[in-house]
Parts: sequence; C-alpha cells; structure tokens
Amino acid sequence: MIRIERVSKQYASSKDEIALNDVSTTFESGLIHGIIGISGAGKSTLIRLLNKLESYEQGNIQIFDYTDLRLLNQESTRMLRKRIGMIFQSDHLLSRKTVLENVLFPIALHRKVTPSDTEYARSLLQEVGLSDYASRYPAQLSGGQRQRVGIARALIQKPDLLLCDEPTSALDVMTTSQILQLIQSTARRHHLDVIIVTHDLNVLREICDTVTVMDKGRIIESGKLDEILYKAKQPETQAFTKQIGLDLGTLKNQFPIEELLLLKFEEEIVHQSIVSEMIQTLGVSISIVFANVSPNKKGTMVLHAPKKQTEIIAFLKERKVGVDHVV
Amino acid sequence: MLFDLEIQVYLDALWETAYMTLVSTLFVFVLGLLWGAFLYGTDQHGLWENRTVYKIVSVITSALRSVPFLILIVLLIPVTRVLVGTILGPTAALPALILGATPFYARIVEIALHETGNDLKETGLSFGATKLQVLFRILIPESLPALIRGITVTAIAITGYTSIAGAIGAGGLGNLAYLYGYARNRILVTVASTVLIALLILALQVIGDLLVKKLSKTS
Ligand SMILES: Nc1ncnc2c1ncn2[C@@H]1O[C@H](COP(=O)(O)OP(=O)(O)OP(=O)(O)O)[C@@H](O)[C@H]1O
Ligand SMILES: [Mg+2]
Repeated sequence: MIRIERVSKQYASSKDEIALNDVSTTFESGLIHGIIGISGAGKSTLIRLLNKLESYEQGNIQIFDYTDLRLLNQESTRMLRKRIGMIFQSDHLLSRKTVLENVLFPIALHRKVTPSDTEYARSLLQEVGLSDYASRYPAQLSGGQRQRVGIARALIQKPDLLLCDEPTSALDVMTTSQILQLIQSTARRHHLDVIIVTHDLNVLREICDTVTVMDKGRIIESGKLDEILYKAKQPETQAFTKQIGLDLGTLKNQFPIEELLLLKFEEEIVHQSIVSEMIQTLGVSISIVFANVSPNKKGTMVLHAPKKQTEIIAFLKERKVGVDHVV
Repeated sequence: MLFDLEIQVYLDALWETAYMTLVSTLFVFVLGLLWGAFLYGTDQHGLWENRTVYKIVSVITSALRSVPFLILIVLLIPVTRVLVGTILGPTAALPALILGATPFYARIVEIALHETGNDLKETGLSFGATKLQVLFRILIPESLPALIRGITVTAIAITGYTSIAGAIGAGGLGNLAYLYGYARNRILVTVASTVLIALLILALQVIGDLLVKKLSKTS
C-alpha cells in the first residue's frame, strides 16, 4: 500500500504556481489505479514523487516498508527505484542497443548479466509478444512494439510497483487497447501494483480498479472505477465522463433523477435481449439514454424508466444485472 | 623535387601538421567531453543542476573561445615553456591548440547531450542508475554520432589553427606556405601546401563521416 499524506510540491522554477497542493490519498495493493486530470493538473508530478524523481517539501509518503521517502539517502533511493518499474509516453529506449540489450540494460547497470538474466529477459519478451524481435534495434520497431519493449524492460528488475505515465497517449486506439491488456495481464502474473496516469477516461475504463481525479494540483475525487464513471460529483470529473459518451450533468437536467436507472452487466450476457424481453414481459415503456456495452465485455446502460421501477429492478436482478439509481 | 623543394620537405611538413592536428584532437576529445558534460550537468535539468557554477563555467568557456588564436599562443608562451621545454616546433603548439579548441568542442558536447535529453536521463534514474552511470552509460553513448560529427568539425578547425601556429614557428604546412612560399615569394609552394592542407581536411571529413555511418547503422 502507498500512503500519501498532505503532500505539497512546488517547482523551484515556477514559483507562482503550486504543482501539488496538500494531496492525500492511498493506493491499495493488488489493484490497478488510474489517475486522470487535464494537462498541468499534477499527475506526473504525483507519481514521480513515488520513485523520488522529484522531491517534495511538505507532507509524507509511505511506500513498501519505507515510512518517509524524504529520509532516503542516495543508496536507498536507488534500491527504492529498482523496486519500481516505470514506463513513459514515448518508449525512451536506447537507440544503439538491441531490444534484448535494452531489456537487460537496467540489470547491466548494477552487475554482470548472467545467462539466467538473459533467459528471463527472453521470457519477458515472449510475454510482450516480441520473441522474434530480440536482436532488432528500436528504430526497426513500430511505436506499439517499442512500448512493449519498454514494458518488458520495466519488469526486468522484478518490481513491486509499475508506474505508467500516459503509456498509450502516442498510440492508436487498437494498439492502446492491446498495450492496456498487456499491462493488465502482466500486472496479474507478476503481482504488481500499477498506477496509470492518463487524460483519457477510456484508458481507465479498460483496466483500472480505482480512479483518482486531479485538478490544479489537488485530488478532487477518487473511488472505485464505477463510482467515478457513473456517479461523478465534481463538474471536472463529469467533463471526463463525457469522453465515453456519458453526460450525467445533461441527463440529470433532462430527466428527474429518480427515474434514471444505472444497469451494470458484469458477465457475458446478451444485453439487448434482456432489455427487450423486459419491455415485453413487464409491458413497460423505457428508453435507453446511455449505453456502453460490447458483446464480450462488461458494460453499462442508463435507462429512463418513469414507471414500474420496482418491477424493473426485480426483473433485472433476477438476471444478474446490477441495478442502481443514478446519484 | 617539387617547386624547388625536396618532396621530403613537403612530407615532413604534412606529417608535422597531421601530428599537431591528431594529437591535439585526441586531447580535445577527452577534455572537451568532460568539460561539455560538466556544462550540461550543471545547467538546468542537468544531473547536478547548479546555476551559479554553470554560469561561471559558461562565461569562462565563452571568454576562452573569444580569444583570437594568435593571441592565445602568445599568452601561453610561459606555460608552454614550462610544459614542453621549448616554444618552437610542433609539440610546442599543442598547449595552445588544445586550449583553443577545447571550449569550442565543449559547447558542441553540451548541445549534443541536451538534445539526447531529459527523457533518457529520467529513464536511467528510474532504473536505479547513479548520475555518473546516466552520463557515461546512457547519455554519452546515445549522443555518440553527434559527438563524432562535432569532433570532425573541431579537428578541421584545429587544422586551420595549426597553420597559424606554423607561421610563427610550430612548423608544418602553415610554416611551409608562409615562410618558404609567401615570404620568399614562391607562390607555387604556397599553393602546394594549401592543397596538402585541403587533402588533410578532406581525409578528416571522410574518416568522420565513415565513423558516424558505422555508428548509425542501428537506425
Ligand atoms: N520540471 C518542472 N519545472 C517547473 N514546473 C514544472 C515542472 N514539471 C511540471 N511543472 C509544473 O507543475 C504543474 C504540474 O505538472 P505535471 O507535469 O505534474 O502535470 P500533468 O498533470 O502531468 O500534465 P500533463 O497531462 O500535461 O502531463 C504544471 O503547472 C507544470 O507547469
Ligand atoms: Mg504528465
């Protein structure tokens, strides 16, 4: 678990603005955490504090068994950093080393590379789908492939935490999805905690368990993914939920809030047939005012149901659909 | 014989010029690399950011670069006498050549390291690298093509300096062109020396380009 307590940070070179303003939060272990916010909100600054790429003046950060990051000397700082893998928006690969050499490079900095290191690096390359590219140079790879090398490299020191600063911002939609799935699967396999920074809510929706929303150096809202997606309270957060087509603010203006129902499809069920079956069986008139569902993923729907709400809720619950009022 | 002078005289002069150029380039490469790395390191976003130190060293660098080479040689005469034991001959030209060209190359190194950039610095640190490792195992290797291009330009500039040094006693092709050619009004000797200098410069450029090409094979 990572605990951030009342941390403030100001960059020496920009005296008039405060990058982090009294930020407190915790990141539970075993989860994928998302941090979202507009440009300049302080997202990168926050995660860069965790591996001491930046220092902070006020507050306290606890991470692993370190109770106060500020107390670490240079040697312990390097120990801390070895336990934290980091991937960036662009791949930051070494252009004059091969893919395999890049993956092994963090180890080569500290000690002689052993055959078992090489073997592990190759297994990581296989995991990220690049077994056949070990002896290529970064310039001979696509952007998505380079990002995969970056992921393998971030895992080579067997970290406990993976920090991702906009890992997919430079990639197209398909590649983004693949990279996110890869981050998720490797996180599970290697028992990593993950923190992902982004300004794209779709990224968070795809793999995150929790979401922290930042604005102007503060955390303005945080919680489980669904709470943030569908029950966002802050206007700044709602601005992000518009990215996925859900404009809660407008919906609430258009309909009485108690008539809006939030449906969550957790398993692979055929959403359409459930809704149409419900309309026929119950003889109700409803309208779907928002839907974000895909055939093989969990999805969400917002219904406008002015009448027979109790029956609708019972019908859906029977079919294992999560139902809730929009708040 | 070529224009009333033994071929051997030309060859000796060529050798002296090449010697002055190559030996001082070697020194300039090492010293300029360290100096440039120091400038990069102390500048903003550098590894050991320290604005005051940077400004002081930066001013010294610019000041040294602005001293005309001829004056630098004269100023360095006492130092040269102590270091080399004489103020005549190719070896005596080395201190002035090195001191004249090092700040020039240091600036090139500084720019090259900046271009390689902040990103790789952060990446290196995030692996748990020390700052020296970031410099010597990441930034400098990544900047190598630019550093080689820079040293080629510097070596060519040094060749130019050697002819100034030559004219006031260091020997070499500059000496030949000035003392035997210009001063004794034998224009063809001057032309021949100039051609040889041009060939030397051409050779340096070709070597530099080949090295860069070899290093850039990976992209
Ligand atoms: N190295 C720096 N020096 C000075 N100011 C900085 C530095 N890095 C960030 N800042 C400032 O701190 C604030 C927060 O920046 P930060 O990079 O954390 O934002 P961000 O949320 O990551 O934005 P983006 O989405 O654009 O990456 C901004 O106002 C920025 O101008
Ligand atoms: Mg950022």
